[in-house]
Amino acid sequence: MFDAGAFVSAVGLLADPFTLMLLVLGIVLGLIIGILPGLGPPIAIALALPFTFYLEPVPSMVLLLGIYSAAIYGGSISAIAVGIPGTGAAIATVEDGHQMFKQGKGGEALGFSLTGSIIGGLFSAMCLALVAPLLASLAVQFGPREYLAISVFGLVVVVRVAGKSLPKGLMMGGLGIFLTTWGLDELNGTERYTFGTYYLYEGLPLVPFLVGLFAMSEVLIGAERAAKKVSFDTASLSVRLPGFKALVRMKDVILRSSIIGTVIGIIPGEGAAVGAFFAYSEAKRRSKNPEEFGKGKAEGILAPETANNATVGGALVPTLTLGVPGSPAAAVLLGALLIQGLTPGPKLFSDQPDLMYAIFLGLFLINILMMLIGLVAIRFAAQLIRVPTTVIVPTVMLLSFVGIYSVSNSFFNVSVLLGAGILGYVIRKLGYSIAPLSIGFVLGPILENSLRQSITIADGSVAEFFSTPIGLTIYCALALTILWGPISARFKK
Amino acid sequence: MCTQRLGNLVFVTCMLIACGYFAWIAEGFVTSGLLATSGLPSKFFPQLTLMLTGACAVMVGVMYVRFHEAGGDANEMVFADRGEAWRGLSMLAVAIICYFTWNWFGFLPMAVILGPLSLIAMSESRIAIYAIVWALTAAVWVIFTYGLKIQLV
Repeated sequence: MFDAGAFVSAVGLLADPFTLMLLVLGIVLGLIIGILPGLGPPIAIALALPFTFYLEPVPSMVLLLGIYSAAIYGGSISAIAVGIPGTGAAIATVEDGHQMFKQGKGGEALGFSLTGSIIGGLFSAMCLALVAPLLASLAVQFGPREYLAISVFGLVVVVRVAGKSLPKGLMMGGLGIFLTTWGLDELNGTERYTFGTYYLYEGLPLVPFLVGLFAMSEVLIGAERAAKKVSFDTASLSVRLPGFKALVRMKDVILRSSIIGTVIGIIPGEGAAVGAFFAYSEAKRRSKNPEEFGKGKAEGILAPETANNATVGGALVPTLTLGVPGSPAAAVLLGALLIQGLTPGPKLFSDQPDLMYAIFLGLFLINILMMLIGLVAIRFAAQLIRVPTTVIVPTVMLLSFVGIYSVSNSFFNVSVLLGAGILGYVIRKLGYSIAPLSIGFVLGPILENSLRQSITIADGSVAEFFSTPIGLTIYCALALTILWGPISARFKK
Repeated sequence: MCTQRLGNLVFVTCMLIACGYFAWIAEGFVTSGLLATSGLPSKFFPQLTLMLTGACAVMVGVMYVRFHEAGGDANEMVFADRGEAWRGLSMLAVAIICYFTWNWFGFLPMAVILGPLSLIAMSESRIAIYAIVWALTAAVWVIFTYGLKIQLV
């Protein structure tokens, strides 16, 4: 199982000065983008994606993972300092974090947020290193029926948690899958929705579509908020790390939140925000003084911040082993692997073991360096909250345009970017979530191929779909996920 | 400003028309040769997903017609106020104008107008911001042209 040669090779790849420089750059960029309200991890990764086209797989993954982890953490800084979460994952941090800041304990609040993020990140990186190879060895046995089951599972879960309306979520999931049917039919070469242009033979390109959906739509939404001004006191922004005794006192919260975050990250489609909210509500529910939550309680920062960073490693488990993204940010990360000519899935572990070890080790290193960079840079980085939206909006738009064009020197990509951006803007304004649309767009090809192959294998028998033990287990888990709420509510009555 | 109900009803109507149109196009997907008899036809999956999307669009439409809401947005508006609508829609127009400017006149004219047009769309009046945005635009151009050797034409 353990490949010592690949491990040593991974250490060598990570020790390369250029890779280390990109790792630090990724953390700094992630922090900056995470701090800026509205620009979350998917947008941060999407904006950096075109640059990875010019890099080798390990440096590019290290850069993007640094951005991913640091952007989730960075969101808590603006949540604490101004009460505006930099990312969705930091919404749960606002209440207690900003209360502590207003009480003059901003340094402590930032310390708890940084410590929680690092512990959560390290815990999930360890789980990723332990679970991913095991799942990959199991996934080698996956056939079309198992892939169909896991894709349906991922899609249903993301539809359920995305937005307040189930039909709206399903509609977006369906639309996302439909858009992947454009181009040549992979199984028999039939032209579908190519509209007479060869640009569409390979379908709508993944990266411009995702960058448009996340970054361009955010630019347009950001423009609407441009009039709002932000002000805060920087005096309370020196990080004060919690003492060892305080951490021991809160060890249950830390451990529980780490596990919640990692597990929620592993479930396809669930994101850091869900993990953070779940961990916060669990910490409050199990607390002896739940009434203190929302009034500046340390556990109210530690729980969500530990959990949201723990989702990073968790989300990489299904992304790397099955090619099924664990979150919208992981969906964009999956695009990075495709840019490198790598197909995420169990074979990646046997074909590129050094890359896999580099990702595991890289995540550990990112979290350790994030601690050092966070301690030094928070005070300066927090000033970025003051950067006017009017500066951010045109810069991000230009970066999106140029970045996407540079991937393949194709103006068609820019057209897809703009189209996806307008679609993302319209649906967000109308109360739809873009998460099911993006996950549907990533899962579409897997779903179609596995469904068509499964139907051929089943030869008219519905029972054949459920005839494999792994597939049946996944469907049972799906049924349990859907029915758990109603069943537990009935028992509570 | 436009209510969520009105906006969503217009949107689901457009979605239903689009679903019908794409389902009709899918009827024309023809597979020739030996592959025509293997497995399911190419139109199967697109039409299946269109059916799902269309059915959900109908459900959303029915919810807005009967209950005036879907997911608790009964009294919500698409735009909070006129200013927000102006900034959002103007920025959308700027994105489209820049796209066509790049297509017809090249990258540099697009890069030159993107910043000022965006700032006008967002009602920004501070000259310093215009200068900062232009400087950032120049930096992006330099990084891509000389750093990454991309021919931005």
